Amino acid sequence: MLLRMMKTVFRFAVSVKWPLSILSTPHSVAIPRKKPRNAVLFLCLLASVKVFAAEPLNQSAHSGLTDPEVVAQVAIEEPSYQVVDVGVLAIRGYKATINRWQPLMGWLETQIPNSYFRLHPLTLDELAKGVETQGLDFVITNPGQSVLLARQYSLTWLATLRSPLNNGAAMQVGSALVVRADSPYHTLSDLKGRRLGIVSKNAFGGYLTLVYEAQLKGIDLPRFVGEIIPLGFPLDNLLYQLDDQKSGDDAAKDNRLDAAVVPVCQLEQMQTEGLINIAHYRVLDNQAPAGFNCQVSTHLYPNWSMAKTNRASQSLAKSVTQALLALPEDHLAAKSADSAGWTTAVSQLAIDQLLKDLDMHPLQAPWWQRAWQWIKLHQQWAWLVLGILVLLNVYHFWLEYRFSRRGRELINTQRQLNENRALLEHAQRIAIAGELGASLSHELNQPLAAIGHYCHGAEVRLQRGTSPEELQSVLALIQQEVTRADNIISRLRNLLKKRPVSKQPLYLHELVNDTVPLLAYEFEQHQINLAVNVNGEPYLQSLDEVGMQQLLLNLLKNAFDACVQRLELESSGTEQIITQKPYTPTIDIDLRYQECTLLLTVTDNGTGLTEETSLLMQAFYSTKSEGLGLGLVICRDIAESHGGTFSLESAMGGGCQAQVAIPRKPELNGAQ
Amino acid sequence: MSLALPVYLIDDDDSVRRSLRFMLESYGLKITDFDSAEAFFTTVDLTLPGCALVDVRMPGLSGQQLHLELVAKNSPLAVIYLTGHGDVPMAVDALKLGAVDFFQKPADGAKLAEAVVKALEHTKAHHQDNQYLETYQALTPREREILNLIAQGLKNQEIADSLCIAMRTVEIHRANLMKGMQVGSLAEMMLIYSRIAERLRLE
Repeated sequence: MLLRMMKTVFRFAVSVKWPLSILSTPHSVAIPRKKPRNAVLFLCLLASVKVFAAEPLNQSAHSGLTDPEVVAQVAIEEPSYQVVDVGVLAIRGYKATINRWQPLMGWLETQIPNSYFRLHPLTLDELAKGVETQGLDFVITNPGQSVLLARQYSLTWLATLRSPLNNGAAMQVGSALVVRADSPYHTLSDLKGRRLGIVSKNAFGGYLTLVYEAQLKGIDLPRFVGEIIPLGFPLDNLLYQLDDQKSGDDAAKDNRLDAAVVPVCQLEQMQTEGLINIAHYRVLDNQAPAGFNCQVSTHLYPNWSMAKTNRASQSLAKSVTQALLALPEDHLAAKSADSAGWTTAVSQLAIDQLLKDLDMHPLQAPWWQRAWQWIKLHQQWAWLVLGILVLLNVYHFWLEYRFSRRGRELINTQRQLNENRALLEHAQRIAIAGELGASLSHELNQPLAAIGHYCHGAEVRLQRGTSPEELQSVLALIQQEVTRADNIISRLRNLLKKRPVSKQPLYLHELVNDTVPLLAYEFEQHQINLAVNVNGEPYLQSLDEVGMQQLLLNLLKNAFDACVQRLELESSGTEQIITQKPYTPTIDIDLRYQECTLLLTVTDNGTGLTEETSLLMQAFYSTKSEGLGLGLVICRDIAESHGGTFSLESAMGGGCQAQVAIPRKPELNGAQ
Repeated sequence: MSLALPVYLIDDDDSVRRSLRFMLESYGLKITDFDSAEAFFTTVDLTLPGCALVDVRMPGLSGQQLHLELVAKNSPLAVIYLTGHGDVPMAVDALKLGAVDFFQKPADGAKLAEAVVKALEHTKAHHQDNQYLETYQALTPREREILNLIAQGLKNQEIADSLCIAMRTVEIHRANLMKGMQVGSLAEMMLIYSRIAERLRLE
């Protein structure tokens, strides 16, 4: 009596689509939840009146039937009355699922006395969660899901659905790749870069089978098509959207689907139900076997199957299996499930293989897990590799440290070399100054003598009665001479100064004119003709003033020495026979302001080169008895420090020609 | 007054030349300056007395060359050397040539002025000698012979005997000598002769 009433109430609840889902997330059922509770309260009220009314049942009813554990308790505590929870994959929406499977529940209830089968239409994830939390006794699901579930949880397959369309075959799952009838696509390979609608990336019949099929053809479907759009259940949406957009406006065209993947027979079934016109659609790569009435783009896989979970008892499972197998082909329960009844469970091997190939098999550990396992197995090797890595790193850092230390040493050495070079240059400048001594003392003597004369003259005049006012002009003359002496001294001091090399823009010919007087006295003493020629438009050039002066002095001094040497040879008479004309020693300074180069040439007609140029350019090599052997080396260094070159060669007529070429620095043009 | 005689200053260095001139002028000397030996030669009459202050080191003709030229022309001009840094051999050469003095620059003004005054006296004497010599050279050979014998202290009769001429002739020559040499007395004539003889001996 109570059993009947409860059944009726539950039926009612189910038929008005109040989800009794034990797994639905709270927010998804927030609104429709109240009514079933009311119904349950009503049931409980009745129950409390009746003999069977018991505290635990009331409590459990009040605390909410949605709790699976409580449901289980109810089942256990009511041995004469059995509630069985059956989870079904709802592929076409809630109502369609109820319509499809509720008759089967009815059949089972008639076959198994004292039992009540509750139907739970669930999504893929909910189904998996239901099995995990032991909220279900049985599951009815499509093959892809069934393998996934079977591998993750302990499931026992009881029976497989037979298809009414294919002489009752149990192979009834696959994908149909559907496009609009008027579209230009004819095979899967035409869909490159297109928009593909699917139900879900985990859907077996709706998606994975096609991915596998494509993979067999060598196509990586997710990358091959432009975009994959999962629309979710119900499947009807896919076909509606595919067709709808045929007449859509331009804006919608951007979002339209080019193709959709649906489970096999979906198209034909919706046609039968009068929901769509099949003539608007076309299935690509149809490979339906003979006698199979639906179009299909993939191989066929086993049909929907029913399995028991750990929660259901063996005896119940046995009874259910027997009831399923006993279901007549033409029974309402079979027909509403679009089937020809049930048969024994078909092997899931083909599906297993497919999932394995798609790298989605539940038993297949991801690569990192496999790597971790390998490492755990071969620990000694892992440690060895790690050790080698650490050693290599240590070695690397050690090398780096050594390298940086060596680098610092090199920099220090270079700095020291530079300092030594500067010292050498300085030493040579002092040597030059020594050689210039006679010239310099004469230069300096002139203004000093003049000052002395002026002073004495003024003194005498004062003594003889000249007024001081008349002598004022003398002071200015004295001042002039002091300035002259000061200039000479500062010229010398510049040369002798130890200084960091600093380059300033200056005119080289001015420097030449400043330098020549330092040697003029000696030139005159030996009657040497000195000529300075400047060619071209003078321009400012960034030069190291002291360095250039040193270079010039070195060259002039060398030329001078060569001329003096030849003079001595001539006067001693050894060469008089060879040279007919009397010898006039000549030194030419030729300065050319060329467009790209500043060219300074010093030519003499002295004794000429007696040694190889390369030998003369070596440090501490000298042909002179008191020479340091540094002059030419320093000349070359100075020329090179200006980015230029220094060369030495024999001149026409037996002398020697030294040339310095300094590239013009164009950025100085603006500074002029 | 010897200070009125011209002093020629020859130095290529402008400032030295001007300062020297300033100093020497303060002693009341009459200075004419030249920046080279060549300019000096084109301007100055070398037969007149004067003093030349020459710089040894000059472009063109050097101080020594200038001095040599003066000696060659038997110029009465007295030479004083000025040098930046003289050395002993150069000074010796200069003095052998007859230079009055040799100064190293910067020269002491007072000493230099003193030397110039001395040089002017020297040049005056030299000029006088030159004039005496000219007079002497204007004499006839017989007159020079008789003058020579007079200087040896011979009397008229002794001269006439040694030359085998008449006493009267000797007397006429003597009178001509006195006239030609523009002297009033025998003593004066003998003094001049001694100076000429000295120059002649040098030559």
